[in-house]
Amino acid sequence: MAIVERDEFGFDAPAPLNHPGRAGLPQGHGTGPEVGERLPDFELPDQTGRRIRFHEDRGEAKAVVVFYRSAVW
Amino acid sequence: MLAEFSEKQKIPYPLLSDVDSEVIRAFGILNDTVEPGDAMLYGIPYPGTYVCDEAGVVVAKFFHESYKKRDSAELYIDAALGRVVLDEAAPSVSHGDEDVQVTVAVQGGSGSLRQGIVRQAIVRFDLADGLHLYGPPAPEGMIPLAVTLKGPPGLVAEAAELPPTETLHLADMGIDLEVWSGSFEVRVPFYAVGELASETRPLDVDSVILEVQARFQACDDNTCLLPRTESLSLELPLEAIDVPNIDLHTGHGQREGAYDGTPHLRRLLLRKIRQHPLGFLRYLRKHRRLIKEAKARRAD
Repeated sequence: MAIVERDEFGFDAPAPLNHPGRAGLPQGHGTGPEVGERLPDFELPDQTGRRIRFHEDRGEAKAVVVFYRSAVW
Repeated sequence: MLAEFSEKQKIPYPLLSDVDSEVIRAFGILNDTVEPGDAMLYGIPYPGTYVCDEAGVVVAKFFHESYKKRDSAELYIDAALGRVVLDEAAPSVSHGDEDVQVTVAVQGGSGSLRQGIVRQAIVRFDLADGLHLYGPPAPEGMIPLAVTLKGPPGLVAEAAELPPTETLHLADMGIDLEVWSGSFEVRVPFYAVGELASETRPLDVDSVILEVQARFQACDDNTCLLPRTESLSLELPLEAIDVPNIDLHTGHGQREGAYDGTPHLRRLLLRKIRQHPLGFLRYLRKHRRLIKEAKARRAD
């Protein structure tokens, strides 16, 4: 049975506190491009292996870019 | 792996793979609390979201102090459009009179709650022509608009986000007032924590009551109506979520129903072990130590 502990924000997770996977964003740590700045361009493979060039492939569309931690856990 | 995940979860947008965390580093959001020796986790980002306009310029960003706190997708769309677009399924309630009508709707997930997912109470005020409400600071003796949100223990409400006021110049009195008129919306972000909607144990209740109070005083250019408090409540369902029980790493939940990541996790682990045999041993040792410490804390 997993150890469940509640963190300082009140959230439960099936891993002990201090587990590196539970670390939050340290206070004062930057969070990348700010509002008003252009997002840096990047090129990465999608789930089918196709290379996606961010600015080129979104064309004239608005976009949402989500950085997530894992699709496995 | 992502192909199967994407298909099973019916994800309509591209899932990109940043295997060496190059883009994560370029954005400056590599999780640097994870040590490079931590073969299992090193390379993950501080999770967060950017919304950009047609020119690729960031118009909104969402980063939180905890990775457990995440935004409803609807909030990204609202940020991109620059206005609130409520889904038909969003629960809503309305009350008031011919002077001031107050409507509360919950944006995100059709109003359902689960641990850490941020919804927004959208509190709309529709004022009769000529009337205004005061924004803070209100003139002496007048009541500025205050919106508060209450729920059961474990429901966390953030500060209300007030729209910009307009300046009303009263020539007779030679004063400027900060007011709202017509129709405007106040947004109050809120979310559940473990006490209310843990993702690691069954839910205690199926739904909760959210109560929104708005206190205000409506005036026209000459006279004021009596101060008023409108209380509106909505019943919001809690979402049961399924956290697969995987031995080594029991998952960080938040996952939608019928997806079993176990085979993929096994493959990932094997790859990590091959790549960094020592790092993986260190990870296991640390993991065991943390569990031992947690058990000791529980025994105290």
